[in-house]
Amino acid sequence: MNGTIKVKHLAKTFKKGDVKAVKDVSFEVNEGEFFAFLGPNGAGKSTVVQMLTTLINPTGGEAFVAGYDVSKNPGEVRRHIGVALQETGVDPDLTGREMIELQALIFGYQKEEAKQRSDKLLDIVQLQESSSRRIGNYSGGMRRRLDLALTLVHEPKILFLDEPTTGLDPSNRIAIWKELQRLNKENGTTIFLTTQYLEEADSLADRISIINKGLIVASGTPQELKAQIGNDLITLTFAKQEDLMKAKNALETELEMADIIIQNDRLNLYVNEGNKQLLQVVRVVDQYGLEIETTNLSSPTLDDIFLKITNEPETEGSGNDGE
Amino acid sequence: MGNNVFKDTWLITKRNIMTTLRNPFSFIPNLVISAFFLLVYEGGLSGISELPTFEGANYLAFILPVSIVSAAIGGAGGAGQGIVKDIENGFFSRLLLTPASRLAIVLGPIIAGMLQLFVQTLLILGIAYLLGLESATGFGGILFVILIAIGWGLAFAGYSAGVALRTKNAQAAQAGTFIFFPLIFLSTTFVPYELIEAQWLKVAATINPTTYIFESMRTVLIDGWHFWDLMQGVFAILIACSITITFAAVSAKKAVSRG
Repeated sequence: MNGTIKVKHLAKTFKKGDVKAVKDVSFEVNEGEFFAFLGPNGAGKSTVVQMLTTLINPTGGEAFVAGYDVSKNPGEVRRHIGVALQETGVDPDLTGREMIELQALIFGYQKEEAKQRSDKLLDIVQLQESSSRRIGNYSGGMRRRLDLALTLVHEPKILFLDEPTTGLDPSNRIAIWKELQRLNKENGTTIFLTTQYLEEADSLADRISIINKGLIVASGTPQELKAQIGNDLITLTFAKQEDLMKAKNALETELEMADIIIQNDRLNLYVNEGNKQLLQVVRVVDQYGLEIETTNLSSPTLDDIFLKITNEPETEGSGNDGE
Repeated sequence: MGNNVFKDTWLITKRNIMTTLRNPFSFIPNLVISAFFLLVYEGGLSGISELPTFEGANYLAFILPVSIVSAAIGGAGGAGQGIVKDIENGFFSRLLLTPASRLAIVLGPIIAGMLQLFVQTLLILGIAYLLGLESATGFGGILFVILIAIGWGLAFAGYSAGVALRTKNAQAAQAGTFIFFPLIFLSTTFVPYELIEAQWLKVAATINPTTYIFESMRTVLIDGWHFWDLMQGVFAILIACSITITFAAVSAKKAVSRG
């Protein structure tokens, strides 16, 4: 048993509607690594998570989790992973303590061990005071923390977390981040995280892969990904909305710039040596008689990379994958 | 190494019993309605027993199986409702992500439903005793009635769980329980077969397996140990169970499969 994930040409076609949710995905996650898996809604993230956690079978390729083949040895995979799906999987009629103890007993702990494990985990996720209350009375943040505790019951080597902080307020989100970092650093737990909050991946992950339309479109450390699209980001806004496209065409023609994206009412230009380029950009736009309202020079964030690679604006706070 | 099926089944059954007890309104209405049937039919229709066809039989013993079967079906229907609830709140997926036996995940709620109907049957029998029930076969006959109720409940639990696993939808599972009405009422519910006048109802009662459940219970409560009359109820249960449990198993396989 180890804490690695190896995925080779993984594919999933759903019979219903003949939907190719995942076309060809390959990647590796090392033991003790914090890996983030990003993608827009419907990209195939959740389908990959469901295959790796044995909820659905792949229709192509192979995947090994903790050293076990997910298709041939799903029982062993389940024994060695902890999973928190997008929707919390808790019984509202049980108390937090009962829920953890039940999970521990199913994982083969004896009654007394299950109680001890429950005490420890309730402390970790700070739910000790509410442990005797029914889960139906818990807030969304408390349910999320309980869900995380449930994934840790059997001390798994690998954690799969599918958008674990979606819908949480900032304080609960930071509490979960801290706990994930602690697990990763102190226990050496391998973490596979999908998220729609890119700053989450930026600050937590050692490495990131971006999936779009069922294919991996970019992989690397956050720094490597940022470097792929240039060191600087020039953002322009215009007095007239219709000037956005005119400016884009002008800059592509005159400066042979390829990395230009219109995002809502802004024009984003991904460049190197932004200071020098900014002057040229302003000059060209001016020559075409287009009225600039604001200019901004900054370093690109992971959001910018995501936007450029998937070529569609992500919608913060949007719902689950349609997968 | 796989998990122990018996241990997992016990854990999941125990949890289902806990959640049922914590939601008394999931079983109290069904119990009250069944007791209500017993009181109202006994109070309002007991005069029918004066008819020659009844040969002086106690109408309470005649109508009691209706109340028991109604409680059994309602209790067993809880199995399906429990499964749908688990699917909707994510608990079913949580169980699928553990090494728990897949069989145990499906059997747990069915067994819990069976235990629920067992208790309901005991309560209905208790009420009947308070109303003056007398069994022609004594305690043995009462045990037979309980076993028949459990068997019939198992058949209905299989059906209810199968619908729940197939549709994964609370409304659909609820709609599935409406089969309860034709099963209960298109039968020898209020009067013996010979007294049913409408030909169509006679045909329906002949086809309806509930008729044979009623008759076997009535035989043991009113007439005595008449082997072949009792066996028709047992056969009806065996046939119904083989169909509904197969339906549940096929639906369960699909629900926990990783297609």
